[in-house]
Amino acid sequence: MDFFLQGLRDAWDLVTGGDPALWQITWVTLKVAGFSTIAALILGLPVGVALGLGRFPGRRAALVAANAGLGLPPVVVGLVLALLMFPQAPLGRFHLLFTLRGVYIAQTVLALPIIIALTAAAVRSLPVGLLDQARAFGAGRVRLSVLALREARVGILVATIAAVGSGLSEVGAVVLVGGNIEGVDQTLASAALARVDAGQFAPGLAIGIVLLALILVITAVLTWIQQGEAGHPRAPS
Amino acid sequence: MSPRPVRAEEGADEGMVVVGRGLSLRRGRRTVLREVDLCLREGEVVALLGPNGAGKSSLVGLIGGLLEPTAGDLREHGRCATVLQSPGLARRSVLGNVELALTWWGVPRSERRERAMTALAVMRAEHLARRPALRLSGGEQRRVHVARGLALQPDLLILDEPFAGLDPDAMATFRDDTADALRRHAGAALVVLQDRADAWALADRMLVLLDGRIAADGPPDEVLQSPPTEEVARFLGYRGRLSNDDGVLLTRASQVRLDPHGSLVGTAVRVRRTEDGALVEVDLPTGRVQAYADARPPQAGDTVRVELLGGVRFPAR
Repeated sequence: MDFFLQGLRDAWDLVTGGDPALWQITWVTLKVAGFSTIAALILGLPVGVALGLGRFPGRRAALVAANAGLGLPPVVVGLVLALLMFPQAPLGRFHLLFTLRGVYIAQTVLALPIIIALTAAAVRSLPVGLLDQARAFGAGRVRLSVLALREARVGILVATIAAVGSGLSEVGAVVLVGGNIEGVDQTLASAALARVDAGQFAPGLAIGIVLLALILVITAVLTWIQQGEAGHPRAPS
Repeated sequence: MSPRPVRAEEGADEGMVVVGRGLSLRRGRRTVLREVDLCLREGEVVALLGPNGAGKSSLVGLIGGLLEPTAGDLREHGRCATVLQSPGLARRSVLGNVELALTWWGVPRSERRERAMTALAVMRAEHLARRPALRLSGGEQRRVHVARGLALQPDLLILDEPFAGLDPDAMATFRDDTADALRRHAGAALVVLQDRADAWALADRMLVLLDGRIAADGPPDEVLQSPPTEEVARFLGYRGRLSNDDGVLLTRASQVRLDPHGSLVGTAVRVRRTEDGALVEVDLPTGRVQAYADARPPQAGDTVRVELLGGVRFPAR
């Protein structure tokens, strides 16, 4: 119990003390979560919509792969990417190992299946009549995709919340690819891990509490937006 | 299901929107359409009727471009839009939905608002324009759905069972408004109907599809008065059947009168009460007929006399 109380006191001191190191770590965390989610949305939305709408051979296998990706072990992803980023490895010439760019890539790889699988599921759960009717009224592939994205936006927000949550709290791949270097690519989650590894349980808990608060605020905002979308069909145009 | 490109041939099929010859369609091992010939002319409203499983959806799918015929030749002149049975409205306002359909159709932005409002007004739904489409009642959604199709002003508008599942009151006014709207629609219209009574309110011409073939094609009154086959007659409500060596006489209930001085004597075998009296099934020596009775119908088992007022005769097979 003392750990918790001490942790809460340290967390309060950390937040109110204006510790520049904390703000730097928080900023890195936000950048990792933000960049990876945006990159995964850019790459994953077209794939998710294609899997949700399309009728092509291999679609089922691709859906299985995307769904399996939801359970991708971050440690394995981090290990494979780290090995690929070694100087002599295929990605070595890009000098990504132990850099923030490497962490962005690792986290994007983890966020991508989340966006693809949940977007495909959201599109597939749209009323069949809506998309068929759009086809029957001459909607081409692009307009059909825009319609699907728009109508499935509540489900896509769920995917975004999951991807942001993963980006904020993920630690395995970040540590393996980034090296958990303080001031460079250490995030709140990996910083908490580093403190715990060093036996500094109270500071570790304090950072954990700050991370939880951050996750709560961001997901609350996204959930508020999502609920607004779900509850109120768009105002008349 | 995208609209087909114009494939007009100079001079051929003048005044036609769709010309199909020998259309056949197999789905899996089953042949669902067999050598169907049909044409749809500019400006006419055609009702397509048939029992479940007759191939109506497949034929509509062929004409709408969803399906490709296994055999036969289908020529279409102009663009076709299909209003599917399910309203399939998007999460936006009614006006937004109609404008969205116009966007899909490729109508320039500057024309969309006016065309959308005109179509909504034709379907008496302009007061719904600002309402969220998904909060409308089922009947209102159907109106908006048909308005979307009308707004496109296609050369051929297909309505797939537009009145299915509506309560009788809402259906009657909606059907009449749809009939008026289709009369004003410049292009051709093909309306798939469940209830044959709607064909009289809507259509210039009736196609009856039975077992994948066009079994009757003509104005509704003509088809009803002179059905070409026994199967078509039965589908159109000829429930009475009397037979002798020369052939069979099929009758509708309105063509048989219960009459104490009637020339035929039989036995009432079933009496079903209706709003205005009763429908009586009468066994006669040569078969069974149905007749309407007034407020005091006979009881089952009573001996009754009937007079035949009409019917259609088919030679013995």
